[in-house]
Amino acid sequence: MKDLKHLIYFENLLENADNELIEKKKAEGNICLGYTCFHIPEVLLNVDRCFSTRLRAPNTGSIDIATYYMSNYTCEYARALLERAIEGGYQFLDALIGVDACSMMNRSMEHFEILQVNSNPNFFVTHTDMPFKITDYTVEGYRRQMRVRVLDRLTEVFGVDTSDAAIRKAVEEHNEVCRIISEISQMRKAENPVITGYEFHVLNLVTYVCPKSEILPYLQETLEELKTRKPDKKSPFRARVAIVGSEIDDPSLTKLIEGAGALVVSDRYCFGSTPGREVIELNDEEDALTQICRHYMEVSECARYISDEKVLQRRETSDRLAKEFGAEGIIYEQMKYCDYWGFERALVSHIMHDEYGWPVLSIDRLYNNGNSGQLRTRVQAFVESLEIKRIHKEEGKA
Amino acid sequence: MAKAQYPNPKFWKAKDNIDWKKQGENLKEVVGIFGEMLKEVDWKAFGEKTLNDFKADGERIKGEYRDFMALDSAEKWDRVVNGERSLGRLYRKGAMATVRREWRGVKDTAYDFWEWARMWGMLLMTFSKDLIPAMNSALWYRWMISYFCCHGFMDKNILGLRGSNLRISHAATYSIFRYVAENLVFLSKADRKNGNSTELNKMLFTFDEMTMGQIAAGFPDLLAIPHQLLPMFLVSEIDQLVCIPYIDAVESYGLPSDTCPVPSSECGALVIDALPDMGSLFISSSMPCDGSTMASSYFARRFPNIPVFHLCFPVRYLDEETVQMGADDIKACIKAIEDATGAKWNWDHYFECMKRFNQETDLELQKWEINKSARPQFIGPSYELFRKWNYEMDGGIDPRVLPEMQKMNRMLLKAYENNETAWPERKMKYRALVWSCPAHYYANFSNWLANCWGIDILVEMESLNYTKHLETEDKEEALRDLARLYERMVMRRHTNGGYQNVVDECWRQCEAWNAKLIIMYQNVACKNMATVQGLLDEQGRQRGYDLIWVEHDLMDPRTVSRRTMRDKVNEYMRTVMRAEPVDPSLVEFEDEVCM
Repeated sequence: MKDLKHLIYFENLLENADNELIEKKKAEGNICLGYTCFHIPEVLLNVDRCFSTRLRAPNTGSIDIATYYMSNYTCEYARALLERAIEGGYQFLDALIGVDACSMMNRSMEHFEILQVNSNPNFFVTHTDMPFKITDYTVEGYRRQMRVRVLDRLTEVFGVDTSDAAIRKAVEEHNEVCRIISEISQMRKAENPVITGYEFHVLNLVTYVCPKSEILPYLQETLEELKTRKPDKKSPFRARVAIVGSEIDDPSLTKLIEGAGALVVSDRYCFGSTPGREVIELNDEEDALTQICRHYMEVSECARYISDEKVLQRRETSDRLAKEFGAEGIIYEQMKYCDYWGFERALVSHIMHDEYGWPVLSIDRLYNNGNSGQLRTRVQAFVESLEIKRIHKEEGKA
Repeated sequence: MAKAQYPNPKFWKAKDNIDWKKQGENLKEVVGIFGEMLKEVDWKAFGEKTLNDFKADGERIKGEYRDFMALDSAEKWDRVVNGERSLGRLYRKGAMATVRREWRGVKDTAYDFWEWARMWGMLLMTFSKDLIPAMNSALWYRWMISYFCCHGFMDKNILGLRGSNLRISHAATYSIFRYVAENLVFLSKADRKNGNSTELNKMLFTFDEMTMGQIAAGFPDLLAIPHQLLPMFLVSEIDQLVCIPYIDAVESYGLPSDTCPVPSSECGALVIDALPDMGSLFISSSMPCDGSTMASSYFARRFPNIPVFHLCFPVRYLDEETVQMGADDIKACIKAIEDATGAKWNWDHYFECMKRFNQETDLELQKWEINKSARPQFIGPSYELFRKWNYEMDGGIDPRVLPEMQKMNRMLLKAYENNETAWPERKMKYRALVWSCPAHYYANFSNWLANCWGIDILVEMESLNYTKHLETEDKEEALRDLARLYERMVMRRHTNGGYQNVVDECWRQCEAWNAKLIIMYQNVACKNMATVQGLLDEQGRQRGYDLIWVEHDLMDPRTVSRRTMRDKVNEYMRTVMRAEPVDPSLVEFEDEVCM
């Protein structure tokens, strides 16, 4: 296929946490808010003069100092962020919006405060509490947390307008991004798609890390380009897979999987498009904040939700996406040392195989492992097994 | 009005419905396993080992006699009256128990034996109330076998103790063992694989092992048992090897080995069907760590017949904005129990129990005051276990416990007034705190610390929980208070809600207890604690504390053995403190398989 016009530009935007679009937006007097977790509704961080960036630590090398503080048996993503913060890599942030959803990420953010890694005079870190299930009172509890710990803090410190009208305006822009990404995402359903999993991963990631208003024109242009893009006559991939699991903000992992012959057609992981790029439908009867909170709770696929209906929802979503996007197998992955996904992966990788009938590859992985030979070998073996299954199916043996 | 009996007699009377055919099949399988084991035994090696043990015993007795005779008459008298001093000789390489009981001097040995007999009496009386299912549990669950060694557990927790501390420790252990014995019988009666009492299961709900038991105070007609506490959590303190098969099972299933052994063991037990199938409802909770929280989905999969209520408390518990959500969840939980069992929440009974719990909290604070003084009285593993059990599981529900605690405190105050010391004077050298979670497989580590190096653990982190009185009149506030209490369950009070609760709190407590030495446990799989390791290390050094970092793997002694744990202390004491051991025989000894 012909290269996408802006792909290299997008890739460059992902080379640093602090990219040129963030710099441009900040130079215009806007406020940059960092966050990491899906549980913080991204759209709330884009009200008025604020814009959000989901934190990554691209090209992470040594994380020795963070390891001293947080030990070596903890999430590498959390440690990589702390290391980068200590190096001064998040000096561009005006505030960090944290959620006490997973302990390791929470601790990482606490270190931002304790070690005073950001010298901006108004810089603050806020910690919010996140429920484990959806009920009327937990939605209300969540809404109150977002109001008191996030929006009111923004008003208090930066004089930001966090009114219902301002929130609804942010939702409009957010939805525009979601519509484009969703439309591009649908293209992956084709037998021979005009976009690879890697390209989609890059496109989706830039929507998380760049100011929405700045990235929108590029996205619109890319969407138009894709509509007329011609795929290769014969797909270079030997199998189609869906990925399910914890945080992946490194597109080189998708590249590795596709390099081993498996086209990634669905991205049901943290930083992926499901959840995250669903349009938020607001009505006029209820305040926008409550609706947004409920939306995020309902679409969340985080393993932290332990109530029965959410446990089932995660399995059903994985099954549905894999079917809709024509996957032949599912890769269940987890960031090493992630407790939530460690337990979830171990159990559900069996369930998806035994009860839903999916071939499953179950892996744990490091934060940055685009060059992992071991992982490549495992994916190659999985691709081969999928091919064998296909041959058997064609021959009527299975 | 007649005084209500505890536990409710109808729990004992509930009819069992044992499926004898199923028991027969199980027995056949167990006999088959034993048969295979017997076939695989190397009888020659077994004979040699037995002979060697006899020889070693002979040598030991000769050695002990020789050493005794080498003492002068004053020392001989001291040993007769005050007991032996070289406790390391009680251990033998490859032995699962100590070679004999400790000689504590005439008076204390007699007292110890009396308590030993009293404990046996209580256990036999309790199990005899429904012996068949209770004994049959041993044919279903290998963890049940470890309970046969509970006296050994009692002994190892009081090793080296004398005088009042010995007596109070025995009293504390008795209360815990009675709770365990009674619940083991109920558990066996209710287990659908075993006693299969439909009647009891209708009156029974169970809850996660770290979840507090106080909610059961509102249901006097119901029985509440922490589902995994007896099969996993507690027994891992009795037998260091008991969790290994369960951990291996779940890791073979695919769970990463870096997760906390508590949920790992429980999930492993669920994977291989080694937990009892009992109760009308299971209450899971958002427990101290992310891993523990996740175990409920394994439970739901193993027991689809038991509905699960997820009691989910806010993590940022110091934020008063979150309290109402916790209270609302308790309300929902009460309703779930009512729906599952048909019972009704009883405010009067709840308030009665919480009044008792408040009194028990006052008694606990009295212990703290004395232990903070220059003459601490009740310290050691028995106290550590008692505090956790009383706070989490008893919670004022059992009316027998308050008078027992009052008696313990009377003994404590008398000992203080008489200028007694918790340990013999030579073992009172360093005032210390334990921070982070202790190793289950080395539950009596604080005992070794005192006996070997004179390090006296005044209190451990897990004991320092919620001490405010719970509301006993206003119903809405009572629920909010209950939420506050549950949010501060053992471990969670420190590991959740922000680093202040574990880092700043550590320095605050060191000051309050006048302790300069900290045994800083490092559970290699505890992410909540591991992520503040650098801060504790850095700030501890800045403040001039002596931090002895002791790694362990909570329930898996293969990762870090007891010996390795001791070595960390030995090394620090010799090289940094330049200290001499109080009992050199305890510096090096073998207990790799010793319970």
